[in-house]
Amino acid sequence: MKRPASIVLAVASCLSMLGALFMVFVYVPTEADQGIVQRIFYFHLPCAWVAFLAFGMVAVAGALYLWLGHKIWDDLSYAAAELGMLFCTLVLITGSIWAKPIWGTWWTWDSRLTTTFILWLLYGGYLLLRAFADDTDEIARFAAVLGIVGVLDVPVVIISVRLWRTIHPAVLLTRQGEHGLQDPRMVATLLVSLGAFTILYVWLLWMRLTTLRLRTRLAGLRREAAILELVGAHR
Amino acid sequence: MLEGFGPILRKDLRLELRSGESTVALVSLSVLILVVMVLAFGPGGARRAEIAAGALWIALIFAGTLGAAQALLAERESGCIRGLLLSPVEPATIYAAKLTVSMIFMAEAGFAVLIMLVLFFNLEFGGGLLRLVPIFALGMLGLAALCTLLATVSGRVRAGAMLLPVLVVPLFTPALIAGSKASAAVLAGQPLGAVTTWLKLLFAFDVLFVTAGYLLFEHVILED
Repeated sequence: MKRPASIVLAVASCLSMLGALFMVFVYVPTEADQGIVQRIFYFHLPCAWVAFLAFGMVAVAGALYLWLGHKIWDDLSYAAAELGMLFCTLVLITGSIWAKPIWGTWWTWDSRLTTTFILWLLYGGYLLLRAFADDTDEIARFAAVLGIVGVLDVPVVIISVRLWRTIHPAVLLTRQGEHGLQDPRMVATLLVSLGAFTILYVWLLWMRLTTLRLRTRLAGLRREAAILELVGAHR
Repeated sequence: MLEGFGPILRKDLRLELRSGESTVALVSLSVLILVVMVLAFGPGGARRAEIAAGALWIALIFAGTLGAAQALLAERESGCIRGLLLSPVEPATIYAAKLTVSMIFMAEAGFAVLIMLVLFFNLEFGGGLLRLVPIFALGMLGLAALCTLLATVSGRVRAGAMLLPVLVVPLFTPALIAGSKASAAVLAGQPLGAVTTWLKLLFAFDVLFVTAGYLLFEHVILED
């Protein structure tokens, strides 16, 4: 539909991602304790950020759909849920790759891991609903309610799981009040990587939204054509 | 505010008194889940309290999800829901009534499960069991709040009845963690005072989702 925005986003995404890759593999110093494997953190955290952003967007777009009733908000929340699921999966995978050499295991029932996994299950259910259901207003409203309830659940999940157990390193804010990234180059790399992933997310969201909008339009045109055909047959 | 609550509740209970379908199905399903747990893990051993608590919550989740779906499905089967929506009753009131009905069904199943639990796991009838009641009631309320809100999915979607637990169980995890931890502690002989954190969490969960259900129900019950 709107070509230029898509091209600008694509170019910006490619360039920023190249920059982030350069910083992660060449520019940033290797962490003293953990060694080379710590570099995955510069992908892990941005993925987590994008996943949370996407899930927040599912709820906000869902609420806007219930309020305003325009189909574009439903399409937006669907697109955001798909991307949230993608990045949430990446968080779990990159986390596992890091955890194997550092914790000696692919998976533990630590609080943040459990929270992320529960989130993954929540939105997996949301996408299953979308996959099984027909594309009706009823389902769109149901999905919006589910998205809102899902986001309401997140803080309760975080609290309950934290009470349950935790061993995840607090990278950004340790208990002494300092962050774990000692070198300013590490902070710079993290920021560039966060920016790159955010742009990538916006680009992918834009493309997916365009596709879903086209699908909605196509369904509308099909309905119109069917009605016209019926009217023609009666004449 | 809750005009029409009583008639809906009475109607559902009368329907249940005459057919008994939900009670029989729920009680037998939850007892069967307990039997499966006992056969799979064995009744005795050092971790008896934990396994008994786990069995209790597994039975609650699966029987409860089906029971709550049943309370709404009965309306859809014969198109009663249209009449209900046309009547001058607020959707939120329908939610409150259906939530209460689901709670009653779950409480029946819960009572049966508690008694069987004592027999199967050789527990004592007594204080520990009584202390389990508030924990269990809070858990049931949270589960019923979620299920009643989301139960409209079955009947609307292919394989909807299967989809309901897939949607509800992840949402219910915080209450599940709190409930099973608290139950295990209480069954191991601790007083309720030792599990106040978990009780508070369960209470917060209930308040959150009963409110959410009350406010959002009109969006899921309306038909196109």
